This record gives sequence, C-alpha cells and structure tokens, in this order.
Amino acid sequence: MLLNYLKIAWKVLLRRKFFTFISLFGISFTLMILLVVYALFDHAVGARRPELHTDRLLFINRMILRGDGSMSSSGVGYSFLKQHVSTLRMPEKVSISEAYPISITLYVGQQAVKADRRYTDGNLWQVLDFDFVAGRPYSVAEVRDAAHVVVLNETIARRCFGTAAAAVTQAVQVDGKPYRVVGVVRDVPTVRELTYAECWLPVTTTMADLRDPNYLGDFQAIVLARQAADVPAVQEEYQQMLHRLPIPDPKQFQEIRSYARTLLAHYMTNHNNDAGQDGDAAHFWRQWIGLGLLFMLLPALNLININVSRTLERAAEIGVRKAFGATARRLVGQFLIENMLLTLLGGVLGLLLAAAVLALINSSHFLPYAELGLNVRVFGVGLLLALVFGLLSGAYPAYKMSKLPANQALKGGAAV
Amino acid sequence: MIRHLFTLMWNRRRANALLIVEMFLAFVVLFAVGSIGTTLWRNYRQPLGFTYTDVWQLNFTTGQQPRAEQFGTLQQLLARLRSTPGVEEVALSASNTPFSFNDSRSSIEMKDEKGKTKRSINNVNVYNVGPELPKVLGLKVVAGRWFDRSDVASGANPPVVIDERMQRAMYPDGESAVGKMFPFDKKEQRIIGVVSAYRTDGELQEPLSSVLWQILPTDTIFLPQSILLKVRPGSGAALEKQLADDVRRIGPGWSSTIKPLAEMHQSQMKQLLTRPILLGSMSFFLLLNVALGLFGVLWLNISRRRGEIGVRRAMGATAGNISRQVLGEILVLTTFGLGLGLLVAAQFPLLGVFSVQTSVYLTAMVLAAGLLYLLATVCALYPSRLAAGIQPAVALREE
Repeated sequence: MLLNYLKIAWKVLLRRKFFTFISLFGISFTLMILLVVYALFDHAVGARRPELHTDRLLFINRMILRGDGSMSSSGVGYSFLKQHVSTLRMPEKVSISEAYPISITLYVGQQAVKADRRYTDGNLWQVLDFDFVAGRPYSVAEVRDAAHVVVLNETIARRCFGTAAAAVTQAVQVDGKPYRVVGVVRDVPTVRELTYAECWLPVTTTMADLRDPNYLGDFQAIVLARQAADVPAVQEEYQQMLHRLPIPDPKQFQEIRSYARTLLAHYMTNHNNDAGQDGDAAHFWRQWIGLGLLFMLLPALNLININVSRTLERAAEIGVRKAFGATARRLVGQFLIENMLLTLLGGVLGLLLAAAVLALINSSHFLPYAELGLNVRVFGVGLLLALVFGLLSGAYPAYKMSKLPANQALKGGAAV
Repeated sequence: MIRHLFTLMWNRRRANALLIVEMFLAFVVLFAVGSIGTTLWRNYRQPLGFTYTDVWQLNFTTGQQPRAEQFGTLQQLLARLRSTPGVEEVALSASNTPFSFNDSRSSIEMKDEKGKTKRSINNVNVYNVGPELPKVLGLKVVAGRWFDRSDVASGANPPVVIDERMQRAMYPDGESAVGKMFPFDKKEQRIIGVVSAYRTDGELQEPLSSVLWQILPTDTIFLPQSILLKVRPGSGAALEKQLADDVRRIGPGWSSTIKPLAEMHQSQMKQLLTRPILLGSMSFFLLLNVALGLFGVLWLNISRRRGEIGVRRAMGATAGNISRQVLGEILVLTTFGLGLGLLVAAQFPLLGVFSVQTSVYLTAMVLAAGLLYLLATVCALYPSRLAAGIQPAVALREE
C-alpha cells in the first residue's frame, strides 16, 4: 500500500517538473537557512573543544553593583575570584583568566604579529579541553613562579615560525619581555567568546595590580563541576557566598549581583544587566522559535497554494477513488505521505545546500577561525524541521482534497 | 472596469484567501527590510565630520603606578610623541574615540528665563579631547572658533564647543549658538564655537548631538587613556614598535595597544552590516520563493479557466482585454494583501515601538508597496500572455 502511494507520488512529481522544482526550491532553501542558523548556534554553544564538557562548566564573568541611582557593571576582580571563588567547596576545579581578549603585538625578531591575548592561571588547561597540536600547557607551578612562557594557537604559531612544531621552545617578545613558547593549540573560534584567544600567558606576568581589592575588575572564573547534576548546587553555593559578603561602599551600592552561568545562559544574557541566572531563557526561546515559525510560514503558504492548485488538477482521480470507496481518512493519509516524500527530498537537498554554504562561510574567513559543519545534532534538527514543514504545508491541501464531492469531481468541474 | 474587477475578486475572496495572506506576509517582509535599509542609508548620508586616514589610536594602561605620578608621566609621554619623527600631530582623548564602540552620553536640560526646565535634549555624546584634535582628525569649525591658548585660564564660564546638530536641538529656529550659555550640571558654560559634526559612533549609527570639552594640561583629576596620532602616510610596523617601546620606557609598568582608525572602521562596518546583510539575503530568498509560487499558481489557474476565457473571446473580447483582466485580477489581490499589511505597518509609527522617525516608515511603506506591485506584475506577465493566446474555437471544443 505504502509502496503504491510512494510510486504514485513519484509519478506526480515527475509529471509537472516546473512545479516540482518550485516546491523543492522553496523547501530546500528554507531548510538550508534554518540549518545554517542552527549550525551557527551549535558552533557557539554546543559541546565542542575547548568547552567539551559543556554540561559541567559554569562561567562567572560579570558582576553588577546596584544602588539607588547608580549602577556599575564589569568583569570580576582577580583577588575577589582568588579569595572567594577558588575556595568554593562544591566545584572540582576553578580557573581564573582575563574576561575579555585584548589585542597585543608579538615581536619575533623584526616581524610584528598582532594577536589577542588572555592572561590565565594554570588550572585553565585542566578545566577546559584544549587540543594541543604541539608542546604542552604551562603548569600551575610555572604560573606561581611567574615563568615567562606562552601558549599560541596554530595560526599565530604558523605566522611566526612557519609550522606549529617549530614554534615550541622558540622565543617571542611581549611587552618588551621575552617569552618562551611551550605549546601550540588548535585554533579556538571567536564565537566561543569566553574561551577564545590567540595566545595565553601566565597571569602572574601581567603588569596589572592583581592585589587590587576591588570586586569589579577584568577577570572571569571558569568553574568545573564534578558532574552535571552538581551544577545547580555550585550555582547555589556561589549565591550563598555572595549573600554573606559585605557590600563595598554601602553608601553608594545596596546590592551585589553576579551569577555562575552555563554557556547557553551566558549567550542568552547577551550583556543584559537585568537577566537572571538562566539568562532570560524563556524570552530567548520565545523570540527565536517565533521568528523561526514566522520564517517558515511564507514558504509553507507558498507550498500550500501550489499543492491546492495541483490537487484540483487531480480532481478526476480523487473522484474515481472516492466512488470506489476510499475513505476521507485514507485520502488524507495518502496526500500527507506524498507531501512528506516531497519535503524529505527537499530536506536532503537542503542539507547538501547547507553543507555548501557552511563550507563557503568557513573558507571566506568572515567569522575568524570558524569551523562550521554538519554534525549529528544539525542533521537531526534538519530532519525534524523537514517533517514539521511537511505537516505544516500538507495538512490543509489534504483536508481540502478529502472534502471534494465525488460526483462533482468526476464531472471535472471542481468548484473552488 | 476597475470596480468590476474589485467586485469579482471580492466575491472570490475565500478562494483566494491564501494568496492574499501570502501577499500580506510578503509586504511585511518588504516593509521590515525597507525600514532597516532606509534608516541605514539616511545615517550613512549624514556627514561624519572627520577624516581618519593615517590616524592611529594609542590606548595605554598605567599598571601599578601611583595615581599622583601618572599625570606627570603622561606629559612626558606626550612630549616624546610630539618629537617622534613620523608623528605629525598628537591629541589626547577620553576613551570614546572614533569607531571604538565606547560612548559617553548625557542629557541637557534647556531652561527658560524663569529658570524652570523647558525641555531636555537626550542622548548627547560628550567628549573630552585635547585642543589639537582638529589638526589630527580634520574637524571643520563652521562658526565661532576652536579652543585656543586664551581658554586655558577659564573664568567662571568654561568654554565648550558643540556640533551643528546640537545647535539645531538647542535653537530649532536657526539662531546661532556661539556666545550663548550652555547648561551642564550646575555650571553655566560658554559656547565658543560650532563644528560640523563629530560622529565617533560611525556613519551607520544614528547621528547624535555632541558636545566637546578640552582636556587641560593642568588637569589632575581626570586621566585620559587614549591618544590619537596623525602619522606620516605609509608609516607601519617600525613606527608602531617604536611608539610601544617609548610608552614602556617612559611609564613604569605602562603598556599600550596601537590600532589604525581605518582598521577599526573596517571592523565596525563588518560588525554593523552583518545582520542587515543576513536579513536582506534571507528576505530576497523569501520573495523569490513567493514570486515563483505566485507564477505557478497563476499558470495553473489559467489552464483551469480556459473555458471561461474561450467564452469571453467568442463574445468579442480582444486579446488585450483578456491579458488586462488577468493582470488586473492579481493586482487587485495584491491590493487586498497590501491593505492588510498597511494596517499592520501603520501601527509602528502610531505606537512608536522603536525610536525611528515616521518619515522612515513612510518611505519604507512606499518602497514596499511599489516592490510588491512590481513583483505581482512580473509574475502575472507570462500567464496573462498565455491567457491572451487562447483560441476560442480550441478552448470551447475541449469540453
């Protein structure tokens, strides 16, 4: 039965090639765009290196001091993080690094190379999973002793020394001081805004005052929970610690707000100072799912219009089937299957197109260090979208078709 | 004829409901893109007020040096920079330099004679800059004068320079602001000059009024941490390294980052244009989709209405009449969709959801309506010619 439906559907598709093209064009391009958007989203917050254990990681990278008329917000101070966050009991490990990458110039001989740096502690390499191409990370002991060592990313290492392997043990000049390259890691894309950098240096070699008691500063903490289930407990412990803390300058400020957020929550927060711990998730999803549906609505309407027109062309066939006893439900089923076949075909095309567009974005270097691609998650989302689209665009024409009166249909004068 | 068409299509509104909804959505998409495009284009057309070729920005951090010593070090650094060959002009600035995405905004309260607040001018960009800024960035003074030596010993009313937009906001009737008092905080300040503009937010952002104060060498409260340098054309990495070394040598624990303004401008453009371009290409695809679909539906409709058209031809309608009818019908449908769309679009200026001028919305509406009619006409051209080509003898015998 199903096979027969599929055969009929195939023949219908081949009958009027121009209309099949219009339908497939609409479906495949709609799915392509949705897939590209999802791939970008996955690229930013999915479980990828260096943030491989996304479900166990928490980020504390913003603090807000709020008073009656004034508000101050910025990254967090180093000594605050060292004193109050590194000492939390729940997390497995805490790493402290600069909250925002800063552009510096590396000098190799007479050659100058611009790079974004982050000062970090030694824990960073255990909390995150960087992919070392050559060499090793710097250790906690090296950071304690303020050793002048540096980890570069692959691109910068190549630009300075030709190959990644050749870079290890070489010297570069940063801020007038020689640093020794100890390791080279695979490039981190810029959209990974909490961990992206091009070179990493021990925090103890900075010129900045690390003993500054200010709560606000330029640093962030990356917290690794023992297991995914511990994440809420870690967040709770951080909040309790904040509650016990005396408020600096109580004349001006009454409230300290800061959250340990997951990667997804951080992106949804989008630098909004009023967002809560989950980064205003409800608003985010409402907005994006709403936009996505709205975006699918126009091509779906288009497909419905064409499907309705094509169904009416087949009025005689439907009339005959009805006269021989086919129920409305059976006809709806048949038509939905036909439409599913069409949308799945479009879905496959859409996946191919999306792969091509992602490859194009990668090679254009529009997003620095982007490595966009289709993975299992993106593929699954694509399939799901194709099915939703098929139901969305097939239901109404199928209903309309089943309502066609048999006698009129057979006469060929199907009034709309 | 037109009334007849409207009646015809109105009677068939249920059958054509889906097409009307499609037209409506297409209009909404066009309107959204049109509004964003018009806003960007208008902003782009306004003068930037300065030139940024061969200008570098040097930002420095002072490390652990005690605050009291920082001002002296800064003066030494400035003297050193001014005497560096390859550097032509040097001006200090607060961190809101051009294309830096940093801003410092305030609002001004204009008062009437009795001292009551008349109205406030919001979102004013405030700048603290060195007096050499016009030489570095080529600012144009259009009335009055720029800061000079006589302003160093400022009396009760410190001098201030404003831009033309601010002048218009303060005196909408076209009066000159030079010599007038400028209300800021509790202190009255004297407006000594007007510059054409100083849009550090870049040419794509909405132009805002701006106010400039000068940074005095004797100031020991506010430490500016940006320096704008006009360098000799063609200067490169060698000069950059020398400047970075100078900063490190003169300031104990100081470090610097140097960026050409042209580079900052480029990265800002990229950042600000990404979303509109993405939106534009998505809408283009959507409209292409609509156009193809419309074309297909019309084509199928014509082949279904051969009998009707045959009868009309047999009764004496010319080929032109037929093709005009087909075209007219789709344009009437478009008008229905457009009417719905305009109802929605009109809510934006009425409710003032976004802070966008009404004229932008009106332009976008006209643009969107025009494009929608164009789209419908182009899609209907071929089917209408197809309909006109139907021979009554053939069409009527088919039944």
